[in-house]
Amino acid sequence: MFQEATAEDRRKYYTMEWKIERIPDFIRESIHLREFGFDHTGQGPNDRYRFFRDEKFLTKFMKYRAPYAAYSSVALYDRPWKREGWRSSELVFDVDAKDIPVRQCKCDNVCEKCLDQAKEIVAMIIDTLEDDLGLREIHVIYSGRGYHIRVLDPIILKSDSEVRSQILKYVIGGDIPRFSYTDFEGRVRSLDHFMVPLGYPRVFTERSRYIILHLNGDEKIEDITRQTMNKILEYRDLIGADRWGEFRDIIGPRVYERLIKGIAKLNLQLVDARVTVDLKRILRLPSSLHSKVSMICTHVEDLESFDPLRDAVPDFVKEKS
Amino acid sequence: MISTFFINPFSQEAKQIVKAKGDLNKIIEEDERLINIIEYTSGQRLDDDSKIPGSLWELSIKRIEWYLEKKGHRRYQPGYYRFLFNSQIAKFDVITFHILAQAIGAKFNPNSRESRIFIESEGEIVKERLLRVEHQVRDDIISKILNELLDSEKPHWIQLEKLLENRRIKLTELILKDGKAILDKSAPKRIQQIINSIRENIIPALIMQKTQEYLYKVNEMAAKIEPHPILVELANEIQKRISREFFIPKKTKPGTIKASKLDFDAFPPCIKNTIKGVKAGNRNDAIVLLLTSFISYARLYPAVFKERKPHKVSDFDPTLNITLNEILPLIYEAADNCEPPLFQDDPQEKLNITAKLGFGLHETPRLENEGESKWYTPMSCEKIKIHLPILCKPDNLCEKIQNPLTYYNRKRWQKRKEEGDRDIPRSNSRR
Repeated sequence: MFQEATAEDRRKYYTMEWKIERIPDFIRESIHLREFGFDHTGQGPNDRYRFFRDEKFLTKFMKYRAPYAAYSSVALYDRPWKREGWRSSELVFDVDAKDIPVRQCKCDNVCEKCLDQAKEIVAMIIDTLEDDLGLREIHVIYSGRGYHIRVLDPIILKSDSEVRSQILKYVIGGDIPRFSYTDFEGRVRSLDHFMVPLGYPRVFTERSRYIILHLNGDEKIEDITRQTMNKILEYRDLIGADRWGEFRDIIGPRVYERLIKGIAKLNLQLVDARVTVDLKRILRLPSSLHSKVSMICTHVEDLESFDPLRDAVPDFVKEKS
Repeated sequence: MISTFFINPFSQEAKQIVKAKGDLNKIIEEDERLINIIEYTSGQRLDDDSKIPGSLWELSIKRIEWYLEKKGHRRYQPGYYRFLFNSQIAKFDVITFHILAQAIGAKFNPNSRESRIFIESEGEIVKERLLRVEHQVRDDIISKILNELLDSEKPHWIQLEKLLENRRIKLTELILKDGKAILDKSAPKRIQQIINSIRENIIPALIMQKTQEYLYKVNEMAAKIEPHPILVELANEIQKRISREFFIPKKTKPGTIKASKLDFDAFPPCIKNTIKGVKAGNRNDAIVLLLTSFISYARLYPAVFKERKPHKVSDFDPTLNITLNEILPLIYEAADNCEPPLFQDDPQEKLNITAKLGFGLHETPRLENEGESKWYTPMSCEKIKIHLPILCKPDNLCEKIQNPLTYYNRKRWQKRKEEGDRDIPRSNSRR
């Protein structure tokens, strides 16, 4: 498992196993409006600005070239071969298992454990996208080493990078919540994030809880010493029990302030932010082979029951094992 | 109870007042009723006649002057401007707002400094007026205004998209549920005060946004229909008043940093990495967004984050000599170091560089195009980490700062200190 695919493996996959029907409808319906990119050598997607009039042309190309990796744009264009005439872009979040800031497995590449963690993060992000932002038409793609969340809700498709960057910070907890008000006597008061049980403060609290409960102690958090880290690990059960106030009092309000600042920065690493803000990004084509790890980039129908080690393994790998 | 149009100049009532009483031919006429209201405004200083506007024309200028002086701090004497917060002038004030918008929109580009100052001044006036609304009626007034501006106290957040795009508010500063921003009384009691604070903060942002859109419309119209001469005259007067605020004396006070060329050694790591050349993927943003603004501000106005004044390039470089002979060559050279060279791949990026300097989409900056776009300030470290993480290789000093320009100023200060220069200010003084 997770071995690099040979040219022969790729040929076998694309001629015998790959089918155009495995590409999700939302891409198949707009093939002629998307830019395609390919990596033929394993050096990165150097063959870009590709355009296919319809499914037949794409099928022919895939079967004939058996690329090392295949990509299609998140954007739709009037002239995709020039990347001109931008119409819209999906909103995308890229959760890569190997880049999770609090990995408990400590493996070199990816493994079952960190893929599970990536899935947990994906589920949290989707909940926020639906419950807070009210977004629909959310698709999940297993990318081979993590997951892509692709949002096709019409209200978001025309949004610019700034708005996407703000959505990103909201769903991953990248900003420290600052909610203050002036009381009747004119004094400015503020509430801690864990005292506000809805909206962004709740999202931030959940993400912070996830990070703190998954710390293994080796992570570097800005302005947090080894000694403090040990204290955090010692008392983090309080956070599991939702006793944030006690936890803050034990580690001290000043240290807590620094911890929260550090966590907001760690949260920003839960996804690859560049992918979200880039309106012209190309993403792995669902159904294509991730040759580096010999896994199929797969459209996930049901996240809860999806098991990449069962549902995204190509036949040639199964045969070998 | 005060009228909502004292805060929201876009309400139906406001429009009716302007329609009925906004005769442009009468705006220079002295109005006894206006003078009377001002004279009886509580706390108003009356020791200087020149400070008391007698006509709509003068009130228009006072509105802008108040903001410039308030931002300039040193000269600001609030006693002379109390009338701006007396709700009895509401009818005069709302006409004044529309006159100003028509004059500025007709004469200046919506991205110009004059337009931005007008938009910001309106936001500030609204903020202050809201603060002064009596506690007993505050909730009612705010609810009415929100309904006027958004048709609801629970708008879908996408209705606020323009505010997010222009960074007038942050999504993380809202309380969202099922796609709706909660601005009404439906939230639990414990957090209602927070919701109240969001309600108060969002109104100035919405009015600034509407003002900006209004200026765009007027500007478009002015291209087709010649504006009334009195509006052009008023715009010229406003321009003179604003330019006076941004006039840079040739002699600097002792202790300020003297004008000097760029100090490459003081550049932060992300800028040094950009100059070395960037690979495709990050290349365009690195040159157009990061380097262009950094180099231009570092050379011309390194104190921007201290003073926060919306200067133009020509305030510091009136002939554009420095821009054309020092700043642009450096940016173009870095663009050539990229892989593949930026302009070979994307020749239109030259236009974008000019635009980021405030001269619109043109091949080279020209004075007559200044104001067609905004002179972009350097992006923050946080933004660099999101957009260009490959360039961010922080050193010790980076940990203490939040913007590459602050790094540059701090590093230069440190260098001078090490060299034993005693005549150096701690702050980022203007050159």
